[in-house]
Amino acid sequence: MSGFGGRAAIVGVGATEFSRQAGRTELQLACEAIRDALGDAGLTATDVDGIVSYTVDPVEETELVRSVGFQEIGFSSRVPYGGGGSMGTLLHAAAAIASGAAEVVVAYRAIRARSGATRFGGAKTAASPTSGHSGTTAMQWCMPYGVLTPASWMALNATRYMHTYGVTSADIGRAVVQLRAYAETNPAAWGYRRPMTLEDHQASRWIAEPCIRLFDCCQETDGSVALVITSRERAADLPSQPAFIAVAAGAGLFGQEIASDHYSRDLAVMEGSVALGRRLFDRTGIGRDEIDAAMIYDAFSPILLMQLEGLGFCGLGEAKDFIAAGSLAPGGALPTNTNGGLIGEGYIHGLNLVLEAVRQLRGTAVNQVADPRQILVSASRTGAILTRD
Amino acid sequence: MLRHPPRPMCPHCQSLDYEAVQLSGRGTLYSYALLHHPRHPAFDYPVVAALVDLDEGVRVVSNLVDVEPGEIRIGMPLEVTFEPTAGDGSVPVFRPARDAA
Repeated sequence: MSGFGGRAAIVGVGATEFSRQAGRTELQLACEAIRDALGDAGLTATDVDGIVSYTVDPVEETELVRSVGFQEIGFSSRVPYGGGGSMGTLLHAAAAIASGAAEVVVAYRAIRARSGATRFGGAKTAASPTSGHSGTTAMQWCMPYGVLTPASWMALNATRYMHTYGVTSADIGRAVVQLRAYAETNPAAWGYRRPMTLEDHQASRWIAEPCIRLFDCCQETDGSVALVITSRERAADLPSQPAFIAVAAGAGLFGQEIASDHYSRDLAVMEGSVALGRRLFDRTGIGRDEIDAAMIYDAFSPILLMQLEGLGFCGLGEAKDFIAAGSLAPGGALPTNTNGGLIGEGYIHGLNLVLEAVRQLRGTAVNQVADPRQILVSASRTGAILTRD
Repeated sequence: MLRHPPRPMCPHCQSLDYEAVQLSGRGTLYSYALLHHPRHPAFDYPVVAALVDLDEGVRVVSNLVDVEPGEIRIGMPLEVTFEPTAGDGSVPVFRPARDAA
């Protein structure tokens, strides 16, 4: 079997507002997004028999069941890898539906990345367990050296990438400018009506030199996103335009850690994305040139370039040229993160990128791509291809 | 077979036996970053973070000392030195090798 062949589909999407201070718990945020998604799907809480989230999500399943009113859950699971696992929610949901383990699955992520007990981008100084946190025990080998933040973990990889392929901060900034242009017209986005030029990017302060400036960082955000996934047969009876899951895949490799991921032989290549590209494209026969738009996890902008290369949309070291040609922008070769991405819209840990892919396929996106039929969603080591039919 | 970060089992032969070995303390700079923000009160900024490929074949996260930021070059030969930490501890950090082999 290669992929799911459209046997499962996203039939409902929901979200809270994205803010810097939600003023309510993650549990309540999840409830609100799920209620919104079920309404969009034309389903009720009693239809749901599956739940999927991330290992790092703070919302406990039983709390959710007893809040929203799910009656009998036959399948629940969580995806590892922190935000890298975000698109794995689609894999788990589709697998549950294809196997018959569940008929209607809710996938959710609720986060207070800005107003929570610790800011998501801030320093982590306690040794991390392997579950319930977006890291592995490898993090403790960073802490004595002041390598305490997501930006610092990423920077060590990004500097090596830039060194290997001669990439500059301005090369990366050109990607950010294209994303922020989408955010500028997206009322849900942090970057709404906040234009940003390459000069602004280059003038923003260093977070980690020579690779990550302030404007290369996503926005720590409070909010929740929920998706409703069901079978093709059930989708046919529902009111919304389904986003079919042609293929969903994950690739967790021996060489990888989570977040403090510094031990693969060649850190200039995102090897998880290379493996993911094989599973999404080469195993299914779907061509990279058949993808009409892409939603790519951009917690920090360098990983956007590295995923474009790893997934095979351009050669190794060629993302800077691909981007300089305007490929990510409207009318470009691969319109990307058309909501502004995690950098421009907000950071619901990746799941808001799926929301945008569904809106594009329905034809209801703020920055609508002309007649998209196949959209890629990637979080570097998990991903999916969503289709309109 | 050296492994780092260490975990309970050898991923090549599934043995649970292990021993700590002393290394030469020599390596080369694989990557680095000058960390400016956000800041933690325990450190001086910018923190000079480094990935060092040790001659024996494992990579470690560390800091660079005794080097100006403008003199940092990926691939430069390094040697270990030790910095005190809280309590009576010390951690291995790296400086430019004085007799580059």
